[in-house]
Amino acid sequence: MASLDVSELKKNAKIEIDGHPYVVVDFQFVKPGKGQGLYKCRIKNMITGAVMDRTWRSGEKFDPANVESKQMQYLFASGDRFTFMDNESYEQIELSAGVVGDDKWFLLDNLTIDVLFYNNRPVGVSLPSHVIMEVTDSEPGVKGDTANNVTKQATVSTGYLVQVPIFIKIGEKIKIDTRTGAYIERVNG
Amino acid sequence: MPNVLGVAQRVALWDAALSAVRAYFRGQGLCEVMTPPRVAAVAIEPWIEPIAAPPGWLHTSPELAMKSLLAHGAGPIFQITHVARAGETGAWHREQFVLLEWYRTGADARGPMDDVERVTDCVVEATAQWSTPTLAAPRAWRRIGFLDAVRATASDLQLRGDEDAARLIAVTAGTPWALPPLRTHSAQGQRLEAWTGFFTAWSDSALDPWLAEHAAGGCGIHLVDFPEPLAALAERAVDAAGRLVSGRFESHAWGRELANGYRELRDAHEQRARFDTVAELRAAHDQPALPMPAAFLADLLAPGLPPCSGAALGLDRLLALVVGAARLNDIALAP
Repeated sequence: MASLDVSELKKNAKIEIDGHPYVVVDFQFVKPGKGQGLYKCRIKNMITGAVMDRTWRSGEKFDPANVESKQMQYLFASGDRFTFMDNESYEQIELSAGVVGDDKWFLLDNLTIDVLFYNNRPVGVSLPSHVIMEVTDSEPGVKGDTANNVTKQATVSTGYLVQVPIFIKIGEKIKIDTRTGAYIERVNG
Repeated sequence: MPNVLGVAQRVALWDAALSAVRAYFRGQGLCEVMTPPRVAAVAIEPWIEPIAAPPGWLHTSPELAMKSLLAHGAGPIFQITHVARAGETGAWHREQFVLLEWYRTGADARGPMDDVERVTDCVVEATAQWSTPTLAAPRAWRRIGFLDAVRATASDLQLRGDEDAARLIAVTAGTPWALPPLRTHSAQGQRLEAWTGFFTAWSDSALDPWLAEHAAGGCGIHLVDFPEPLAALAERAVDAAGRLVSGRFESHAWGRELANGYRELRDAHEQRARFDTVAELRAAHDQPALPMPAAFLADLLAPGLPPCSGAALGLDRLLALVVGAARLNDIALAP
């Protein structure tokens, strides 16, 4: 693979470090006096999402990360395998529970997500920032218990358990933040 | 709020600044010169990459051509010219930028430091109407030795300035300025590589925050008496403590590097040896080979450079800092 000189780095460049794909999220060139140029980068692990700061000196080289993101639609789960369909080619792929991780709780039928391929292997999924799900089970709120910040547990259609305000009833739809897993608001209609 | 000027304001700003700089240097008895931007050879420097303009390069600074003029009897001169350095692109770097470069004959190395202060004052005064700086212009300037600055910012580091590569590696091991493995092999090459590596890391992580503090207090800084391996094109000198140093300084204002100057090296053999050492370092870091600036070296031999000192100041940077812009592009006349 052709190597990439640090001077060719740009925001959103995808690079490989220690066998992991990273994307450059921020980037600053500084050069002290007649010293060596420094490339101060904030990079994000494309699989784990972990962000870190790294500084490279001019002249250093990388391998570009062979990563590709494809839009896919969630079809169904069978055991710990999750089947998705490529929105362009209609080709179906199966992802393991290990790749999908806790995102499995937010996989609604027909939900379109981005699947990240690293060296042609699916390594991760990225969900919309929030999903709307139906509450399938929850204890009724106790009358009189109306103090602020009082929550109860609710189950949504995928089986995910979430803390919701006590006024939420079975059959109502709620918006959930897929990054934190937390309840955002009730959705009317 | 960073200041972003419209085109008409930028034109007026540059016009006012250029007039002020010219008036200052003419008032000091320097003559303005112009030397061509395409040159057969540039000064061979470790981390400055020229842009090819076959059959030569665009000048990275007008230094060699101006020193040749000095050798042939020009007397004190200044030049305002665009220079080009490949790959230097950032908020405070542009591949093409305006360098103000000047030489005084006879003066000691400190003459050009006074000029940096005066030029800054002149430009601040001439451009006041466009200025909304977040940081005031320096009210005072301080000269501090390189090793004293190291002590002030990295008190654990006991540097003498004359360390060879092995010693510098040992002294910096385990500190934030630990050096990456050296790639050069000669003693001179390793010394240059080690010191340049240290300077790069220390400037970035220790010196810059320290300079920012001084800038907030309205103080400009001249970093003087660089260790001898970092002399570049400066003459060797002896500092107040009797240590061998180089007659090189770097001026910082608003927390940013503004100018670099030398008591100029006049020894052609020494200059040639330094270019050879840099060429070794460049080769070790896969930087393209550059031709030896033969015509300049010949002029150093005969007629020879008169005793002189000079400096180069980044005019785009000074203007951006003076008006309180957040990046060079915000005062540029072309993208």
